[in-house]
Amino acid sequence: MRNVQGMDAPHRWMAVPAGVPGVAWMMVAMLVGFTALNRQFVDVANLVNIGSQSSILLLIALPMTFVILTEGIDVSAGAVAAASSVALGCVMQAGAHTWLGIVAAIGTGTLFGLLNGSLIAWLRLPPFVVTLGTMGMAQGIALLLSGGQSITGIGTAIPVFYNGAVLGVPAPLVVAALAYVLNHVLMYRSRVGIYARAIGGNPEALRFAGVSARAWQIGIYTFAGAMFGIAAVLLTARMSTAHPTASLGLEFDAIAAVIVGGTSFEKGKGGLPGTLLGVLTIGMLRNGLDLVGVPSSVQVSCIGVLVLLALFVEGWKTR
Amino acid sequence: MNHSLASFSSLIKPGENVSKLVSRLAAVLIVAIALSFASDAFLTPGNLLNVLRQASLLFLMASGLTLVVLTAGIDLSIGANVALSACLAGTVIKATGSPLAGAAVALASGTLVGLANGGLVAILRMPSFIATYGMMWLINGYTYYFMAGNTIYGFPHGFRQLGSGYLFSIPVPVYLMLVFLALAALFAGRTIYGQQVYAIGSNPVAARFSGVPVKSRLVLVYTLSGLMAGLGSLVFLARLNSAEGDIGEPLTLPAIAAVLIGGTSLFGGIGTPYGTLIGALLLTLVLNGLNLLNIDANWQPFVTGAIIIVAVLVDSLSRRRQEARA
Amino acid sequence: MNAHTGPLASLRSALPFGSGGSSPDGAPVNAPAGANAGSVLAQHEDQPLLELRGIAKQFPGVRALDGVSFAVRAGEVHMLLGENGAGKSTLMKVMSGVYRADEGEFLHLGEPVQIQSPKDAQALGVAVIYQEFSLVPHLDIAQNIFIGREFPGRLPGTINNARAHVEAKKVLDLLGFDCDTHTPVERLGVAQQQMVEIAKALSQRARILVMDEPTAPLSERETENLFRVIRMLKQDGVAIVYISHRMSEVFALGERITVLRDGRMVGATRPADTTPAELVRMMVGRDVDLTYARRFCETPGVPALVMRGVDSPNGIHDVNLEVRAGEIVGLAGLVGSGRSEVARAAFGIDPVSAGDVEVYGKRRRGEPHQSVKLGMALIPESRKHEGLAVTRSVGDNLMLSGLGKLFPGGWFRPREARQLARDMITELRIATPTVGRRTAFLSGGNQQKIVIGKWLATGARLFIFDEPTRGIDVGAKAEIFALIGKLVEEGAAVLLISSELLEIVHVCDRAYVMREGTVAGHLGRDQLSEENLLALGMHDA
Repeated sequence: MRNVQGMDAPHRWMAVPAGVPGVAWMMVAMLVGFTALNRQFVDVANLVNIGSQSSILLLIALPMTFVILTEGIDVSAGAVAAASSVALGCVMQAGAHTWLGIVAAIGTGTLFGLLNGSLIAWLRLPPFVVTLGTMGMAQGIALLLSGGQSITGIGTAIPVFYNGAVLGVPAPLVVAALAYVLNHVLMYRSRVGIYARAIGGNPEALRFAGVSARAWQIGIYTFAGAMFGIAAVLLTARMSTAHPTASLGLEFDAIAAVIVGGTSFEKGKGGLPGTLLGVLTIGMLRNGLDLVGVPSSVQVSCIGVLVLLALFVEGWKTR
Repeated sequence: MNHSLASFSSLIKPGENVSKLVSRLAAVLIVAIALSFASDAFLTPGNLLNVLRQASLLFLMASGLTLVVLTAGIDLSIGANVALSACLAGTVIKATGSPLAGAAVALASGTLVGLANGGLVAILRMPSFIATYGMMWLINGYTYYFMAGNTIYGFPHGFRQLGSGYLFSIPVPVYLMLVFLALAALFAGRTIYGQQVYAIGSNPVAARFSGVPVKSRLVLVYTLSGLMAGLGSLVFLARLNSAEGDIGEPLTLPAIAAVLIGGTSLFGGIGTPYGTLIGALLLTLVLNGLNLLNIDANWQPFVTGAIIIVAVLVDSLSRRRQEARA
Repeated sequence: MNAHTGPLASLRSALPFGSGGSSPDGAPVNAPAGANAGSVLAQHEDQPLLELRGIAKQFPGVRALDGVSFAVRAGEVHMLLGENGAGKSTLMKVMSGVYRADEGEFLHLGEPVQIQSPKDAQALGVAVIYQEFSLVPHLDIAQNIFIGREFPGRLPGTINNARAHVEAKKVLDLLGFDCDTHTPVERLGVAQQQMVEIAKALSQRARILVMDEPTAPLSERETENLFRVIRMLKQDGVAIVYISHRMSEVFALGERITVLRDGRMVGATRPADTTPAELVRMMVGRDVDLTYARRFCETPGVPALVMRGVDSPNGIHDVNLEVRAGEIVGLAGLVGSGRSEVARAAFGIDPVSAGDVEVYGKRRRGEPHQSVKLGMALIPESRKHEGLAVTRSVGDNLMLSGLGKLFPGGWFRPREARQLARDMITELRIATPTVGRRTAFLSGGNQQKIVIGKWLATGARLFIFDEPTRGIDVGAKAEIFALIGKLVEEGAAVLLISSELLEIVHVCDRAYVMREGTVAGHLGRDQLSEENLLALGMHDA
């Protein structure tokens, strides 16, 4: 932080995270590249498809941004979504009301989030190992509740959340937009965003101001868990079944999206617009590679390369 | 006179490391005794040998990881590494019929991955969990692609003995486990590099100030971890007599759990490969117990996850108590 | 010294405190400017704004503050002096409520009060500007100023960013700092960040401002600007506690001076009643073992360490010095002058951006482990953090640097190592029951012996000691000096960094003096005296 400069008045800087231009270039490159390989890429139907599929990822990546801003990480996201999805499935299969199912999903996610937050903020255990552990636990619960099988017969109400539309706009996009608004308000118009950056950037600042960094950290992980629960609803809706392992690994895409979008583990830098672009980038990458016939396993590798690239550039800059 | 008295007392008074090992060994015994009461099937030779074999396989993965954790780092990519090395080696063995060629490939692949991890962590200074996490997905993807959804199976009988065979009625992997234990323990306790690794884990700043080449040593431990994972993959290959893209997946979490249970601290500088061995035994016993008691196999990830959290908690509390005393 | 006539007065009534439950609770000084405030002040004008009596603070194993009494008066600049580790930072944190005092009491305008949390201190008008700023790098200026006290927005749970920017601008304008409040503070220069910190304090309606080494990172022009701001605050009745090592500032700005040493108050005086030499003596005042007799070096050997025109990003520039075999060369200078930085650059801890470092004729570059190969050794300033792994045993620490030399094949032999360690323990008279004892349990003097002993096994010929006798009892000090003496008698070269001027005078063959990041001068054997060292170390301007 200590750069010795003169006492000149700084110009008005655009408050845009430095990583955004990078990911924007990546998106343009992909748009051009994939269209060249397969004209279908830029079909409206396909772009809408990308949007819909990315919406689930967005629901996970947005709260993940907060978590990474606090210099933490949550690798349990996929497993928590699985457990929430299975909870939803069980409730729906038992014939209960739709809203009860949704509550079950969000509730499960919230509980795991609370667990993560408490272990990390209160007991001060390292985030990645803790969430690695809760990932195992959530995975276990998902498998146990579902007996290792998909839960079909969840009724026709839930799938509407993915297949329906509001005023012609596909439902998942609506949900994603609402989620973005919510997260935006939390990040830029409430104390959550400020304190998240402070926890990651300089927790002393909060301490000296008499604010409990721990309480807010627990809140952030809990909120993330709740969002994972909402993502589970969309996921279940998309597949029309609750599957105990379908969402495993989603956290990798989400973390990748956040990092590629410019939010790094460096002292609270980054933001939501970057994450949004990152999600779209990953979505485009997957969709484009699908169209070209690249198998899903390799797609994962490509995303891995992107992430390492983004981190490499970051590491090089701050050497 | 004073000298010998002092050294004698330090011999008989258990050092901290020794008492930790003893208490964990006691835990193993307690669990074993409890299981022998809980289930008739436990004390049968078949089951016990099976437990030993499973624990050995687990230890093969966790031994190299121990060295990494000693530097306060972590390697999340070992499972993927094992899968990649096994698939590559398997392909080569099928193609050339030579287990030695396969072994060479496994070694090379494991070492290269380890080297890459080391570079990311030591030279680019990425946090180890993020670097190895990215690497894990990278390798996973490539392995799946390489295998194209196929499974390789059917290896030469001689080679298969490595994983499934017996020597004097004891499963071969157990001997290999002892070899790995010797290698890891030798490195940690009997080489200057091991001493330097402990120093780096305890206080990386002081280590640097004391002239320890920190970057080189970090690259070394990650490379070793990769190399041992590569070697271990051969045993898995032999045991399963097949290789496919996802054989590495269920291995990472238990390996980490074994290291943590064994008393190696995530914060660095504390722990030994002996501890990891006991940790592997303990974890395998617990999972074996779940099996014998006919508890749903789906409980295993839950139990493993919970064990990791408890182990970290214990590690963190004991660390904090130590710091308070200092 | 009046709250309602100073330049800040009009601002004070207009300045909102911000929100978040930290509004002042009826503390008289924080009432809006007006007739009321004036009469209240007049009543208590002779009483200090804040007085600390008998404050003690204990941490595990160390008594950071012991019976410290300290009074802060409106419109006064109270200078707080002391070495690193003297307790200044702890005192600041106790005053600002970050730490809770174990003993002692606080008085505000003569009335007893409690300071148990940052909010308590804020309510009393205490604000601290830390040396490592408490700013969040990726938040903008306004967000940093009002952190913890955000203005509520229209909808519940939201905050009003626009208002924060408006109010931030008001305070910054007052300080004469023209900027865009949307700038993330990481993009600001140090002086500007300091302004943000001061604005933060002012926006809290601070009546007592504590500043920790504020001019350390500033240029001369920026320092002047800061002084202008301080004078303005003084006029307004703000009390300022100012921590500094720069004697020029102490005498230029200060009205009162308090000196801390090892957690205790060792002097309370006024600039008119004292001299820089006396202050330094109070700050450092270690019991110098003058019984140690040294045979000075008549015929120095080859140059062991040569630094030519060395610059480093750690703050030193154009450093030129030479240490020859058989000599103990001192490196003096006031705290903050760059002495440790010279050691770090010489050894390779910090990079060298210009110039050369030569060790026994060979160019030294790269990481510390390469320096060790050339025969260098560094005994760093902070034993616990830089010199030892305190969680490891005495034996482990003693062996660490020499591993390569003692076990050239790479194979480590624990039994042999333990024996070597035992030999060293005996030779250096390190008081430890066993080789395996955890280093954390040893006394400071013994720990320091381990740090030194660690290097003996490497066959080093050039030793840099950074404050080797700080925090060590007299007996151990003598032993350490005897050791250093023996090293040079056997032909090694020593660079000795010390704040204790008498030590340098007594022990060194000659000395360089650092000032503001570069070598200000050199004193030969005959010229070595406390006065000369001080004169070179201080700003003559």
